[in-house]
Amino acid sequence: MSQTFPINIWINEERLEKLQSSGLAHLAQEAFAGLKKLSVPTNEQQRDAVLKKFPTAKYDSATTKSIELLPKDAKDRIFDLVVMKKTLDVMDAFLASK
Amino acid sequence: MTEVNNALSPHGGKLVDRVLEPVKGRDKARKAKIKLPIDGSRATEIMSIAYGFFSPVEGFMGSREVDSVCKEMRLQSGYIWSIPIVFDISEEEIKQRKINVGDTILLTYQGQPFAVLELDEIFSYDKALMAEKVYGTKDEKHPGVKRTYACKDRFLGGKITLINPPQINPPFDKYWYPPKVLRQKVAELGWKRVIAHQTRNVPHTGHEWLMKGAWFASNADAVLVSCVVGEKRAGDYIDEAIVLTHEALGKAGYFKEGIHLTSILLWDMRYAGPREAIFHAIVRKNLGCTHHMFGRDHAGVGTYYSPYAAHEIFSRVPDLGIGSVLTLEWWYCPVCGEVTYSGLCGHEKEQQAFSGTLIRSIIQDGVKPPRLIFRPEVFDLVMESGEKYGFGSPFVTEEYLAKRNPVITVPPMEV
Repeated sequence: MSQTFPINIWINEERLEKLQSSGLAHLAQEAFAGLKKLSVPTNEQQRDAVLKKFPTAKYDSATTKSIELLPKDAKDRIFDLVVMKKTLDVMDAFLASK
Repeated sequence: MTEVNNALSPHGGKLVDRVLEPVKGRDKARKAKIKLPIDGSRATEIMSIAYGFFSPVEGFMGSREVDSVCKEMRLQSGYIWSIPIVFDISEEEIKQRKINVGDTILLTYQGQPFAVLELDEIFSYDKALMAEKVYGTKDEKHPGVKRTYACKDRFLGGKITLINPPQINPPFDKYWYPPKVLRQKVAELGWKRVIAHQTRNVPHTGHEWLMKGAWFASNADAVLVSCVVGEKRAGDYIDEAIVLTHEALGKAGYFKEGIHLTSILLWDMRYAGPREAIFHAIVRKNLGCTHHMFGRDHAGVGTYYSPYAAHEIFSRVPDLGIGSVLTLEWWYCPVCGEVTYSGLCGHEKEQQAFSGTLIRSIIQDGVKPPRLIFRPEVFDLVMESGEKYGFGSPFVTEEYLAKRNPVITVPPMEV
């Protein structure tokens, strides 16, 4: 994948537990002295599709270059796909789902 | 174009005051033969004109004024002005209400007499031209362009007078400082140098350090936080959370007592990037500020403007009589172990940039941001504000838009 536009999924206790029990804790990155996140990559087409599907989501082009403000239930579904498929490469599957 | 001294304070040399006491206002209202209801955006623009925030503008602009602002970024008088202040209306409404040039029109809001417009001109203007000149684009996805294209096809120009000053409702009332009042307060506090911070966001520590850095850079006595309260979009922080959390930075001691004041500006953001930066500078100059800080992507949206377009424009306009403190971004650096200034930190590869959007995203995920990037007092107040004012959410929802307490209430007035 060339340039990517990550979706940051911030890890709360529930998500951390799921990652640990699936042996995927290594996918979580440290951020801001105390947070953990999953950075799920999207390519340009996937980014545009996500922004179209979720009008409240925003691509923060000015500062973080990431897709933020996806509804929590959408992030939950992306997170569950990561856990199920044991990979961060899940966006095609996510976009294909309802 | 007339050569004028743009550095006069207030802008244009005189603070506009077009607010009448209710008794005099009632007399003026009785002379009006035509009534015209207005919406909340127009009502707050009238307040900003009448109380002098927009000095030297005294009313809604006529065609030559709009043309001058769009093409020259100046009023016809020669003073710099960057955003047209217009009153749009449909041809049908003009006919239906029998509106003619020379009329005195009573503008009503919330069903009450509110202001009077002395109509000098009815005109049309090329909205695509207006959009392109002000926003640098004709793309309808730009919110300012969209707003311009949504204007009805005719415009009314003329001076306005606020005849029935509205009540500012809690919690905004304690932050309402019209220019005359704020200038008096600044004098009483003995502040000689005041730097303005424009915001439409709950403060994270990047904002806090932007303010602190600008305070240092301008050798200021105080920071005036000027919170824009106006049109909201779903997902924004609610207005109440924005003003209360800014005040909380002072209450919690992140700014010591006597050097930090929170205020509101009633204004619908246009996201005009560099032109809006000029507008913000003029309004805060009218409030009595001596300096204004401009960070990265000031008043921008999407990728329409380069990150520092708002910095560059100040080299192309005359001295506005308010100093511009132009700053780069503050980021978190895991090597330095702190939020630090990008112009100083040498760990570009390791830095972790954060923004208001990113922090909203963290909160939406049900995670509490760490104190290095978001003060715990601010977080607690954001959540409290959501419960108290936001129908359970600190972010704007359809329910909030439909049911929120109005910022202003116009008192009853018999005419």
